[in-house]
Amino acid sequence: MIKSIVYKEWIKTRWFLLILTILGLLAVGNIFLKVQHYITFNEAHNYWYLVLFQNQQYFKGLRFIPLVIGLGIALVQYIPEITNKRIKLTFHLPVNENRALLMMLAYGVVVLLLCYALLIIMFTLLSQHFFGAEIVRAALISVFPWFLAGMAAYFLTALVVMEAIWKYRIAYFLAASAFILFFFERGMAGAYAPLNWKLALLTLLVSLSMTFSAYRFRKGEM
Amino acid sequence: MNNVIECKNLTHYYGKKLVYENLNFNVREGSILGLLGKNGAGKTTTINILHGFLQPREGECLIYGENTQELSPQTKSRIGFLIEGHVQYAFMDIHQIEKFYSGFYPNWNREPYWELMSKLKVDPNQKISSMSCGQRSQVALGLILAQEPDLLILDDFSMGLDPGYRRLFIDYLRSYAKSENKTIFATSHIVQDMERLIDDVLIMDYNRVLAHSPIDKFMTGFKQFSFKLGDTSVDLAKEEFVVNLERVNKDVELYTYESEEFVKGFLDKSGIPYENFSAVPMGLEDAFIGLTGKY
Repeated sequence: MIKSIVYKEWIKTRWFLLILTILGLLAVGNIFLKVQHYITFNEAHNYWYLVLFQNQQYFKGLRFIPLVIGLGIALVQYIPEITNKRIKLTFHLPVNENRALLMMLAYGVVVLLLCYALLIIMFTLLSQHFFGAEIVRAALISVFPWFLAGMAAYFLTALVVMEAIWKYRIAYFLAASAFILFFFERGMAGAYAPLNWKLALLTLLVSLSMTFSAYRFRKGEM
Repeated sequence: MNNVIECKNLTHYYGKKLVYENLNFNVREGSILGLLGKNGAGKTTTINILHGFLQPREGECLIYGENTQELSPQTKSRIGFLIEGHVQYAFMDIHQIEKFYSGFYPNWNREPYWELMSKLKVDPNQKISSMSCGQRSQVALGLILAQEPDLLILDDFSMGLDPGYRRLFIDYLRSYAKSENKTIFATSHIVQDMERLIDDVLIMDYNRVLAHSPIDKFMTGFKQFSFKLGDTSVDLAKEEFVVNLERVNKDVELYTYESEEFVKGFLDKSGIPYENFSAVPMGLEDAFIGLTGKY
């Protein structure tokens, strides 16, 4: 049963997942190409100075990448379910409706975590190649909310897409957009450290929001 | 004989608009019931309640004794649902979709599915989204048959199908249902399709049930008579035995459950002049229109 749901989600998302992951890796690669370029032409110590004291955020090219990936995966996963009200097929399966939805959600979370882990590992390794541990640590603290934003965008996009009535969909979209902005406050590298756990908590809070849209659908709001 | 579906005292409104009040009907085990009604008569509402996607304002529908709003996975595994438009996972091909569904049903029987698929001229890797409406209907039907359900709920199964596919769908379905003692609840906009398929008919009109009986009983009991009236000022429509009456000048089409002798006797006894009286043979579609009216 779980295998079947994972199989369906995999069929929907595999190519987009691959494309989005490659684009993410290319974006990370591009960040360090620029770093390499700057260091080659302006000396490493000058660049370190800018990064350490002038808030030069070499990683800012990563800012919206996790968001785009989270958004993309959610769209690819849930638009086919709501097209022609296909989600009815899931509700007719001989499995508890919420369990089926949570399995779909869990699939999305797992593939996003894998994709993000790949990007973070590549980002960390390349950062360590060019910078000292303190700079890398500050950069990781700074990029962490962006990955949380990607995860929150995944959950909230699922909520918006699975809602069948347009006026609610628009209201959810506006609320979700405002919510996502929390994750993109500007600050010095590492300035987010005290906030990150709160943002993680917020992300967790919206994680099951899609089940509300699905519940409304099941009760005839379609 | 047990009832597989029992709907009791269903009342539903959309806003203030009444769909129906105190609707009651049952579907017997092993029977094929066709729900007929004009647009807006409440067919989709009934289907949505049966699917568990709509909570009626009052009353309840039970399938195998369970409220349709709260069907257990065990009961759902006994039901094959066909969604209007033969909706399926169009992003899959016929192998992928069979593999997907087979994981959910312990009695999965791939034979009828592949038998139907062999009749389709589709590439094995062709996505369902690129198939014709008729081919998609066969995929949806094959998947339902492979589930080995005890009850099939088919919503507007003939929608978008050409006559050949409709006939294939109906003949296959009826022979399957009868050989395996399956119960079917079906709706269709194409009434003549139902005639070949169903055992029992349920005809709904706005807010009420017009007929609910075995199809043979309905077709023999409900009659159409045509005649020319000698006096056009006579108003037969208000007579109790007249179910519906269509009149163009002197030409009358009268629909009733009474016999030819009764109607003739009434006309003679009331001194209403008429000529060219004849009983008109009807198909289900004629009877449906006769019962519900053309408008």
